[in-house]
Amino acid sequence: MLALFPGPHGFALGGWYRLFHQGYMSLFWKSAQMSLIVSALVVAAAYPLAYFLALSGTRRKYVLLLLLIAPFMTSYLLRVLAWKVILGDQGVINSALSSLGFHPLSFLLYSRFAVMLVLGYVWLPFVALPIFVTLDTLDRGLLEAASDLYASRWQAFVRVTLPLSMPGVVAAFLFVFIPTVGEFVTPSLVGGSSGYMYGNQIVDLFQQGFPDWETGATLALFLVAVISVLTFVFVRFLRLGEARVA
Amino acid sequence: MDVALSRNGRRIMRVFFALVLVFLYAPIAILLVFSFNNADIPAFPLSGFTLRWYHDFIHNGELQAALETSAIVAAISSVIAVALGILASLAVTRSRFRGRGAAISFLLVPLVIPLVVLGISLFLLFHVLGVPLSILTISVGHVVITIPYTILVLLPRLEQIDRSLGEAAYDLGAGPLATFRRVTLPLIFPAVVSALLIAFTTSFDEYAVASFLAGTRETFPIYLYSALRFPTQLPQVIAVAVVVLCASLVVIVAAELWRRRAEARLEAPA
Repeated sequence: MLALFPGPHGFALGGWYRLFHQGYMSLFWKSAQMSLIVSALVVAAAYPLAYFLALSGTRRKYVLLLLLIAPFMTSYLLRVLAWKVILGDQGVINSALSSLGFHPLSFLLYSRFAVMLVLGYVWLPFVALPIFVTLDTLDRGLLEAASDLYASRWQAFVRVTLPLSMPGVVAAFLFVFIPTVGEFVTPSLVGGSSGYMYGNQIVDLFQQGFPDWETGATLALFLVAVISVLTFVFVRFLRLGEARVA
Repeated sequence: MDVALSRNGRRIMRVFFALVLVFLYAPIAILLVFSFNNADIPAFPLSGFTLRWYHDFIHNGELQAALETSAIVAAISSVIAVALGILASLAVTRSRFRGRGAAISFLLVPLVIPLVVLGISLFLLFHVLGVPLSILTISVGHVVITIPYTILVLLPRLEQIDRSLGEAAYDLGAGPLATFRRVTLPLIFPAVVSALLIAFTTSFDEYAVASFLAGTRETFPIYLYSALRFPTQLPQVIAVAVVVLCASLVVIVAAELWRRRAEARLEAPA
């Protein structure tokens, strides 16, 4: 059992002390902000996609859905690679710009922007799915009833469709937020130093020249704690929603 | 009157949907173009057609070895994950025990744990137990990651099956094993195949956990990740990327269409 505690510490709270006093918290907030923005934008973009698929009555619904989701099923690393090729200093965009006589844009790669763009790209197809499922099971009769009661389409959307699809929206949001807040692969490939995230810090504490497993493990545990709280709140929210509908 | 969308709204959404599809597929198309571009750096203007990069990667032994390692890991982990997924799904559909909901949630927990965390905790576990890192440790990691996916595919299918079919088999003297083999398994077969495919492709592509658990043998994603850091390898990697992306797109679409048809056939009255 002693082997569980590498180093001379035995039982120690040093990891927790360092978590709160060595700038790790500000790194966590930075990562949380980045993935909050990504999740919000991606959910906002995915909603109309799901709405179109579920409620426009298009006959090719499942073909279009498959077309939308297929990129998500292919290699994650290779999709990141594609963006590295596109955004690089000598990449597709910048080489096209300079061959047209414009100045290349230096912020494209190795920046927070690049990390957020690639994360958004990677998760967008997947996020449409939970929203689609809630909208697809929505009873169209409710919308017809709203219309009979002289609600405009917009009012019907705000008062009927949107509230009923909230569980899907919140689930979609968490499905992006949870993996992106702990992400380290994308930031290490396209983020440079300004796109460095909390997940990179955890990895570095384990793999860099001066490993500090204790602090690394504490950081990881803190991440799990935050995510557990979020998931718990979400499940409660779902139950409340079900109780209200019933 | 359509209650969900006005005519203009439908038109705007159709355009938006098309734009998103372009955004999703354009990077893949760009890789395709540059995989045939005769230059060491992928940049405009294009400089002629070549098959050099495809030729290079086919003769790259290190890359072949990495692809082989990934195939082995994916095969081992997907078979184990699906077997465990079937057992777990059977357990929670067959009996209504106390804490059933909690058991299902618990089985799905790895979905909401960031991969970094799973990676380091497994790494620490193997370290404490003194297990040397190898293909097997990566496979264990991938079983942990993919079990929830297999359950998400198998559980709904098992719940659709009419329980009286199993009871009928019992009445006709079939034991539990025979019932499973001759009644349940054929009915869930399409779902089993799609669970296998999902587990296989997930494992084949997985980097985060594998990076902590790999021994001396590199998996394909680990090879890719390190190749991405050396620009000289870039055109070759792009060519591999094109092959892998196209192959996986074809497999995914074909498998999904096949599953739809197979399940429709099973539902249809004989």
